[in-house]
Amino acid sequence: MNMRKRFGLPGSSYVLITLLVVLMTLLLSWFGLAFDLVNIALIFLFPVLLSAVLWGLRPAFYAAVLGVLAFDFFFVPPTLSFSIADLRYVVSFCVYLSVAALTASLAARLKQQLLFSRQREARTAALYELSKQLSDIADLDSLLDGISRQVLRNVGTEIAIYLANDRRRLDLAYGSARSGGWGHGEAERTIAKWVFEHGEAAGSGTSTLRESPGYYVPLRTEDRVYGVMALLLNDGKNGVAPEDQRLLEAIAGLAASAITRIRLADEAKIAHLTAESERLRTAILDSVSHELRTPLAAIIGSATGLIEGDQLFTSEDRMELLLTIRDGALRMNRLVINLLSMAQLESGMLRLRKNWCDVEDLIGVALSQVRDFRQHRRLRVQLPEAVPMVSGDEVLLEQMLVNIVSNAIKYSPDYSEIVIGVQASDQELTLAVADQGTGLPEDEYARIFEKFYRSPAASRVTGTGLGLAICKGIAELHGGTISAKANVPRGTVVTVTLPLPRQSAPPILSHEGRIEEDDRE
Amino acid sequence: MTVNESGARILIVDDEPQIRKLLKVALQAHRYVVHEASTGEEGIRQASLVQPELIVLDLGLPDLSGMEVLSRIRSWSAAPIIVLTAKDREEDKIAALDGGADDYVTKPFGMGELVARIRVALRHAAKSTGEPVLRFGELSIDLAQRIVELNGERVKLTPTEYDLLKILASNAGKVVTQRQLLQQVWGEHHDESDSHYLRIYIGHLRKKLEEDSTDPKFIVTEPGIGYRFLSRDS
Repeated sequence: MNMRKRFGLPGSSYVLITLLVVLMTLLLSWFGLAFDLVNIALIFLFPVLLSAVLWGLRPAFYAAVLGVLAFDFFFVPPTLSFSIADLRYVVSFCVYLSVAALTASLAARLKQQLLFSRQREARTAALYELSKQLSDIADLDSLLDGISRQVLRNVGTEIAIYLANDRRRLDLAYGSARSGGWGHGEAERTIAKWVFEHGEAAGSGTSTLRESPGYYVPLRTEDRVYGVMALLLNDGKNGVAPEDQRLLEAIAGLAASAITRIRLADEAKIAHLTAESERLRTAILDSVSHELRTPLAAIIGSATGLIEGDQLFTSEDRMELLLTIRDGALRMNRLVINLLSMAQLESGMLRLRKNWCDVEDLIGVALSQVRDFRQHRRLRVQLPEAVPMVSGDEVLLEQMLVNIVSNAIKYSPDYSEIVIGVQASDQELTLAVADQGTGLPEDEYARIFEKFYRSPAASRVTGTGLGLAICKGIAELHGGTISAKANVPRGTVVTVTLPLPRQSAPPILSHEGRIEEDDRE
Repeated sequence: MTVNESGARILIVDDEPQIRKLLKVALQAHRYVVHEASTGEEGIRQASLVQPELIVLDLGLPDLSGMEVLSRIRSWSAAPIIVLTAKDREEDKIAALDGGADDYVTKPFGMGELVARIRVALRHAAKSTGEPVLRFGELSIDLAQRIVELNGERVKLTPTEYDLLKILASNAGKVVTQRQLLQQVWGEHHDESDSHYLRIYIGHLRKKLEEDSTDPKFIVTEPGIGYRFLSRDS
């Protein structure tokens, strides 16, 4: 126990008592003549009381015996001899010894009770603290972490917590020892399994497997066992004290109910996700089937028309049908690219090919992609004096920009202006694409980056609801963000931020190996 | 179209019958002589048999990897090779271009784009020793005297900028990978990790040559791959 440490080693108390008695004997023999012998005997009770309070019963007895001997030898005539002239002193010695014994045992018991009440207080405080902590924790890992810290503070040296998985098999969910250490071994698992199956504690200090150096307690609520908490004890031979057992059981009970709570929350989350994915699947089917069928219908219709009625069409009609086929196929191509990108982003298969990217160049490439279908919208680029390079995947960033600008074109009227602005700070680069389209209600701006979400206001324009979701995926892959808000006075601004690397690109070397000075003014 | 381009023998190596048929019809309409192969092995055999002047090679073949076919043909043939790849396979494109392919076309492609690439590749292959002055509309590059003029006015370029422009312009119409540019301008030990040098110098060049650097007329970026100098008819 910790308490013992505060008073030093058990042996040192005897040394101190001996020293004290010797000192008192010396002092009393110096002034002894001034005292009556009865007073001296009473004074020798002092070390007995002191040691009873400080060290407990045995040192107190030792002090009593030592006191009697010193009293007899130095003060009772004949002095400097254990022999007693007057037999009445034997009675005095007996009275002295019984008074010493009585007071010592009283004092010692008082001390013991103090100790117990302190321990009890510490345990209650620990439980209270734990229950308070557990009620705030929402994930299993930090829950186990909290329990383990609390338990190790009070009992044991190593802790391992096993939790049952879906197939009712125990997995090691938390181990304070390094892998391969205590708790990871087969022996511990076997005992834990027994405890899990029987729902009662085992190991040192219990009636089952008491030879084991560990103590195993089930994590159980009223109706089920969630797992097992195993402790490697400081002092395996003595077992766990009943108070510690009660503490551990209480902690195990708290842990079990916290685990129930977390599991229930998880299940609720999964149920919600399942419902959500069901909804998504329906949305995907609706959106994709519509987006696939429409261009297919145009392609098949035009092609069969051309084949079957070759003579009926004028050359202008024929060109019209051919353009319909081309446009339908291009539209399907875009859809396929978007679906593939989305699938890649979602599956985590996408590897970034990071490289230094010139933002001005990225914008240029993206604009060249959308130039064909912008009709008469004016695309204006606002660049600061110097644009820092960003570190990223050129192809993906270009795809992101194309998607954002295409979106701006799609949802804004012809002859309106679309402004692509770039701003750079020390930490990040901000790209904003502002259109003068219809805009959206405020609460929809967060939702347009959701997969397959399409604003009801946009239903007359074809689309899958994938483009901006892909942009979000790409921005986040780069450690950046994407958001949208209303433009002033009208339209929408989509803003992308990309983090700038802490250190900028290394200096530019010419092929002669030095920085090349440009001779422009 | 110059005389020696017409009637050129072109070998198509692609496992998709529909793509082969499409290419055959379209290329024959442009007066090329078309040979076909449906597997990598057959492609290599045909290449030695008919000695094509140009090869269109699909990188996704069932028997051999496109890279394998490419390197085996390249080991004895100098005929230009244009590879066909899927959109999201930038690594494949770069590997093919650095491994000896002359250009790439991404599936699905427009026929006009493919024919333009074929013309450029054939013209480069046929060209003998370089002409001393390259002309692209209002831009002229005098290779002998290292003088660049835009609209008749001399453009001052640093040595590195000039070297970059020279490589791009003498490969006009063809894509040049970042690695090829880095190694030819800065030296063998430079690779893609130094690509920011390239971006900065391309930026400088565009500022000097282009009216609007977000809408370049001469040097266009092929994202993730490299750069292409546009010649008027490509």
